Amino acid sequence: MSGSKFVVIDGNEVEFREGETILHAARRLGIEIPTLCHDDRLEPAGACRICLVEVEGSRLMQPACAFRTAPGMVVRTNTTRVDRNRQFIISLHLADTVADRDEAEDVSRSKLHDYAAQYGISEGDWPHVESPREGRADDENPFIAFRPDRCIVCAACVRYCDEVEGVSAITLANRGGRTTIATADLRSLDHTTCEMCGGCIAVCPTGAMTEKPALFYGKPERELERVRSTCNFCGVGCQIDINVDREANRIVKVTSPPPGTTVNDGNLCVKGRFANDFVHHPDRLTVPLVREVDGQLREASWDEALDRAVRGLQSVRETHGSDSLAFISSSRCTGEENYLIQKLARAGFGTQNIHQCAAT
Amino acid sequence: MTNSIPEIRDADLLFVIGSNTTEAHPIIAMEMKRAVGRGARLAVADPRKIWLTEIADWHLQIKPGSDVWLLNAMANVIVTEGLENRAWIAENTEDFEKVRESVLKYTPNEAEAFTGVPARTIREVARAYATTKNAGIFYTLGITEHTTGTDNVYALSNLVLMTGHLGIRSAGMNPLRGQNNVQGANDAGATPVFYPGYQRAAEPDVRAKFAEAWGVPQNEKRGLNLNEMMKAMQRGEIRGMYLMGEDIVISEPNVCKVEAAMNELDFVVVQDIFFNESCRFADVILPAACFAEKDGVFTNSDRRVQRVRKAVEPPGEARADWEILVEIMRRAGVKQPDYTGPGEIYAEMAALAPKFAGISHDRIDREGGLQWPVASADAPGTEYLHKGGVLRGKGLFMPVEYRAPFEEADIEFPLILSTGRTLYHYNAATQTRRSEGLSKKQPEAFVEVHPKTARELGIGDGQLVDVVTRRGRVRCRAMHSKQVKRNTIWMPFHFPTARTNELTTDAGDAVTGTGEYKVCAAKLEAVDEHSRHVFPGSYLTPMEAGE
Ligand code: SF4
Ligand code: SF4
Ligand code: FES
Repeated sequence: MSGSKFVVIDGNEVEFREGETILHAARRLGIEIPTLCHDDRLEPAGACRICLVEVEGSRLMQPACAFRTAPGMVVRTNTTRVDRNRQFIISLHLADTVADRDEAEDVSRSKLHDYAAQYGISEGDWPHVESPREGRADDENPFIAFRPDRCIVCAACVRYCDEVEGVSAITLANRGGRTTIATADLRSLDHTTCEMCGGCIAVCPTGAMTEKPALFYGKPERELERVRSTCNFCGVGCQIDINVDREANRIVKVTSPPPGTTVNDGNLCVKGRFANDFVHHPDRLTVPLVREVDGQLREASWDEALDRAVRGLQSVRETHGSDSLAFISSSRCTGEENYLIQKLARAGFGTQNIHQCAAT
Repeated sequence: MTNSIPEIRDADLLFVIGSNTTEAHPIIAMEMKRAVGRGARLAVADPRKIWLTEIADWHLQIKPGSDVWLLNAMANVIVTEGLENRAWIAENTEDFEKVRESVLKYTPNEAEAFTGVPARTIREVARAYATTKNAGIFYTLGITEHTTGTDNVYALSNLVLMTGHLGIRSAGMNPLRGQNNVQGANDAGATPVFYPGYQRAAEPDVRAKFAEAWGVPQNEKRGLNLNEMMKAMQRGEIRGMYLMGEDIVISEPNVCKVEAAMNELDFVVVQDIFFNESCRFADVILPAACFAEKDGVFTNSDRRVQRVRKAVEPPGEARADWEILVEIMRRAGVKQPDYTGPGEIYAEMAALAPKFAGISHDRIDREGGLQWPVASADAPGTEYLHKGGVLRGKGLFMPVEYRAPFEEADIEFPLILSTGRTLYHYNAATQTRRSEGLSKKQPEAFVEVHPKTARELGIGDGQLVDVVTRRGRVRCRAMHSKQVKRNTIWMPFHFPTARTNELTTDAGDAVTGTGEYKVCAAKLEAVDEHSRHVFPGSYLTPMEAGE
């Protein structure tokens, strides 16, 4: 079939694109190929081997995440041989980590265990291998936990830190069964170039990298509800998934949407991912307050407080005119709220004195 | 931004000026790193050796406040070497000649003396910028927080216009917004000059349109911007204030004067999520819901309108700002529909603002964020502006001349103080300071001093110092750092215990009223650790300090 402009995957034709991997060509046909060490933001590494597929004319199977298509190429992803390899790889990794799904997913989700369930592989199919991987139990950084018993050493985290975040705070260390994810001299992440972006958590396929606050909270991610929203810090407008414990009315953590789906391409910074303690902080205002003639503040009902607010503004307007009032709004409020406050100034109190605090 | 964030990765040249992108906009910095990884060239103009300079091809370490000199000198190189895009200029712009003449005197050689940037570097960057097709400019507070903020922006836009870097992908003129919804607040008309959708308040037709829609005649007197409000308040002309979600006591420059004036106000309403510093002057304090407790939209830097969704219930009796405002309006007698939620409020705004005509909550829920302008419900969003020619006719060149900053270093105050934010905190930090983890990373206020300067003044690393300006004195720790130049010091403005804005000037930009946070004259005084005023929590007003 030379001269063809197509690639054939499982009998379906898809137009050849220069430089495209089998994984991406298959995706365009709606054919899912499992991956563990791959992430679209990273250079393909071909480390975990779960994505092997048959390529006609090649005796060995090839990693779909790294192997590039050629015109006329014929690929099979649905053969027994491909399936057997997937089962083998899953069993291998399961034996090397926490096999039981509930235990493995006690905090974060695990893609590995999703595949295990999908391919009907359960714990105990293979005997557990003891891998003496070193962790950093005394790492006091506030946000990122590494649980070495769950790591499959795919190095997605290391590559993310290097290729996307560009700070290379973590690295592969040691060899063989001792291979682990480490920092220079096993220092706390606090004392490395780490910027606490949490990208290593987002790309980890097993939940070995996880959010410390969520680890302490102790409720599995599977039982949390996800609400898609927009980060409230800088002007990038990253999309975030707020993970909520509905019964407790609590935000447990913030995760990033999958790469390629939003403006932030699945990335977040330390503020977006971790700075949400303020929401449930005890210092939050919870009741309206009004000031007494003696200068003291006291609690009031909404009815009283709103009434006082309106009467106070009206009386200033009566004595000094509309333009003696100033309305200042905030870029932290929504578009609708900013619309309403300028309407309040312009239609309710007859002044153009309305400005938001941050003019930039 | 004229262009979109995801386009950055495909640019071939990035000119970043006055933006510590890795700290203030880490996600945009990732896109920049990605572009550089692909082979794009990067020029960074900043007084500090910020992280991006490590991967930059050029670091233009400019003297704070000398931006116009630098930009005009770049324009000078472009016009004297004939690198301008003549065909594009002829078709899309007006008044190029004026700028061409005005920049002739800004020679790179003289610029070197004013800006501290070698003439050779200025030439190289100007040539590279002019001759690379997909070249984008990125800037933020470092450019706008000057008395010459508007001039800086014009000087930048002159460069964009003379090279035709507009209306194509991965180029353009891109202000990075400091806070999440600055764009959205402007979009919604929370500014004295515009009604929603950038319709000019100065135009009688616009006022008539809103008078009719709202059923109330509109005041024709020009409104005050924030800087003018603060000054009018000090003169006793502003008597009442409604503050929604902002702590002007910590975020406004020259805080002491602001506080004194707030004390004199007849009536103040504060609506916020925390008891902020401004609450000390409030007559009524209304507890608000935070972003995770309400529905609505935010607009990001690339004009993308995205949804905010309620994830948890607000604490106690706190209510969403929109609910509070609807109640206030009702009690103030404003005619309004019975809004069932922010979706309907957005619809009311979209019906009055053609730029947002095609945007609705439903559509965002279905399609994801939409970049305005969106002409109608079936029109797509706008990835980059000015495609196929400059919007609204011709791009106007604006000649700008260098003006010295309001305050320059002198014998008494020999250093230049510049302020900004750090990665771990966010503006007044009412939110980030309440994150245990973040406070641990950067617990107290500090001032960055070049080690050589520090040695001359006998100030050790980590030693307590007073930063003194003509307006006030703030105590914090000195941090030796080669990020700053020898005659410059830098402080973040996040900590109420060391209120940086007591030091800064309230001289505003003539057009936008943005305060000159970036530059003022200062000196450092070493403090004896055992002095009466202990850190943290001690800041002295000029009176207390006996000045
Ligand atoms: S949090 Fe970010 S910077 Fe830190 S190790 Fe993980 S990927 Fe690297
Ligand atoms: S921590 Fe996760 S991402 Fe990193 S190597 Fe281990 S399994 Fe892979
Ligand atoms: S996903 Fe292809 S080798 Fe890991």
